[in-house]
Amino acid sequence: MSELILKTEGLEKVFKMGGRTIRALSGVNLQVKKSDFISIMGPSGSGKTTLLNMLGCLDKPTHGKVVLDGEDITKVPERRLYKIRRHKIGFIFQTFNLLPYLNAVENVELPMEGTKKSRNERRARARELLKLVGLSEREGHRPHRLSAGEQQRVAIARALANNPALVLADEATGNLDSKSKYEIVRLLGKLNIDQGTTIVMVTHDNHMASHADRMLFLKDGKLLKEEKQGTHFLKKNLMCPKCHSRIQPDDVRCPRCGKKL
Amino acid sequence: MVIALGFSMAIMISIPSGIVANQTAAQRLTENYDELIDRMQEEINAALTLIECSPSSGFTFGPMPGPMPGGSENFLDESIISDLESIQGVKDVVPFFEKSEGTNQTVTRFGRTFTFLRPDYTILGVPLTSSLINNYSILPTNIIEGRNLREEDSGVVLLSLNNTGYFGVGIGDEVNILGSDFTVVGVHGASGFREGMMLYMNISDAQKITDLEGKISRLDVYAEDQSYVDGIASTIESEYPELSVTTASERLSRLQNMQDMYEDTLQNAEATISQTQTTAFQEIVIATAASSLIVLFTMLYTTRERTKEIGTLKAIGFSNWNVMSQFMFEGILMSLMAGVVGIVIGYVGAPTITSLLLPHISMFGTQGRPGSFQGYTNPGVPGAPGLQVTTAALDPQLILFAFGLALLLGALGSLYPAWRASRTSPMEALRYE
Repeated sequence: MSELILKTEGLEKVFKMGGRTIRALSGVNLQVKKSDFISIMGPSGSGKTTLLNMLGCLDKPTHGKVVLDGEDITKVPERRLYKIRRHKIGFIFQTFNLLPYLNAVENVELPMEGTKKSRNERRARARELLKLVGLSEREGHRPHRLSAGEQQRVAIARALANNPALVLADEATGNLDSKSKYEIVRLLGKLNIDQGTTIVMVTHDNHMASHADRMLFLKDGKLLKEEKQGTHFLKKNLMCPKCHSRIQPDDVRCPRCGKKL
Repeated sequence: MVIALGFSMAIMISIPSGIVANQTAAQRLTENYDELIDRMQEEINAALTLIECSPSSGFTFGPMPGPMPGGSENFLDESIISDLESIQGVKDVVPFFEKSEGTNQTVTRFGRTFTFLRPDYTILGVPLTSSLINNYSILPTNIIEGRNLREEDSGVVLLSLNNTGYFGVGIGDEVNILGSDFTVVGVHGASGFREGMMLYMNISDAQKITDLEGKISRLDVYAEDQSYVDGIASTIESEYPELSVTTASERLSRLQNMQDMYEDTLQNAEATISQTQTTAFQEIVIATAASSLIVLFTMLYTTRERTKEIGTLKAIGFSNWNVMSQFMFEGILMSLMAGVVGIVIGYVGAPTITSLLLPHISMFGTQGRPGSFQGYTNPGVPGAPGLQVTTAALDPQLILFAFGLALLLGALGSLYPAWRASRTSPMEALRYE
């Protein structure tokens, strides 16, 4: 059985706004195993981003706990949380959030600043990651000279910089055209298979969510019991998502039905 | 922004440069005038018993008697010394022999032709007897090289700086003056129009080389005390009509007027300098406050504009300290750049900036050039030091001061914005649009 990377128990988040109490999360129990690729779906205001903030140590729950890599991060003092964010979590944002005055390779290096890696090691690692996301040729380009899809790929490389236990993607395809969306989701799927990266992706796009192993549904701050198997699960287990016939890891199309993989 | 901050810093470093310039000038002014006033007092004391006698056709210049270089030179017979010494109440008679050497020049003005001697040097023969050189100011006091003339020196000469240039000689060299060789024993520093030309030697040597043995140019007669002065003066005037006599009272009044003028000048200058320092201090405080506020507001604006970036940095693992030091570094860098701009502006514009911001230094109740004292040479007192122009300028210490100040202002001005940035909640910051 795979190792459990992330577990939440009875997670609740209550906001008080102008005398009103808003229950953003209500008793969320979630388990993510190593090398899982999970998508969390839900309509706007369902609590997706709030949940992601709890998982990413950006916010603390009102009740409940979040256990990341064996440590209850809700009990970690504020001043130490940055270490968890730096070493155990990689963030991918909807708006990419690259620093405009740094080029691609410098943006990827950024999370490694303050680690024990030397400058040369950081640069080598950043180049390796840019190669992994297919942007070796564009390492010297600043964000404004990259397409939206390329910027998101740089952001993915940045999220992987410190080899985190968990990558959190918040509407990672929300600002992309359909072609780029597909490329990014395929890239995340590839990283999940090849590198064993654990990914939790929050989206309201049903089609994108379906590319994950598991699709979870959040509604009014509660995680629904209903869960769907995504196409990625089948690919990962070398089965065609359409005809369920056996496929090879390098296949681009299903040898039986011809579906693009 | 950097330019605005640079201007502010230029003001901060230019004003101290102006102050330094003013202080230097003020110090020099005070030293010079103190010396001048002391010398005036000595002159006044001496004048109480001094009666100056010179040939009445001689052309005197300034408070000190003596023929103007190039003017007509009449000589008296040396025998007059013993005659004057025999007058009741006379303590000492000091004879001088003065003769200018140079080339004659003819100038035509208003239809008339004048012939002037353009002097190359003036020989001043002085009596080198111990009683006279020890009791009266006969020899120059400002020896800048070698030694002064001594009792009974002969065959030696004391040159002025001008003379050394003219003859091309230095200490210990032989110099040929009117066909006779003299050894240069010293150089005096007098630089006035008349004194700068003078070479001193024993009076008998001077008479000999000019073929005017037994002749003298003028005499200083010293009375036993002040009560004898008027009597001696009237005796000389009646018995020797060929002599022009200047009495103590006339000279005293002239010297006292001059001393009063110098004291007033000094007081004016000191008052203005004090006012300048106060204004300068106020301006520096204002400029420093302005610079700090510029850094503060710029960094507040910057951190606000980059809120989302702060959220991103914290989300990818930057600590509060990392964020704070990043913004502090940027604030200090910006301030140092402004410091460089300020130094450039200050380097070019320090005199202009100080002239616009500092009160003008007044020496005689009128406005002088700010940040400087115009050269002023005392016209009447021999050897009175002239005042040099001192202009506001940046020196290496001020440049270091500017960098230190920029560093300090950058650190102080960015401290609060950087601290605020570091405390920003990453979640809130990421939501910021």
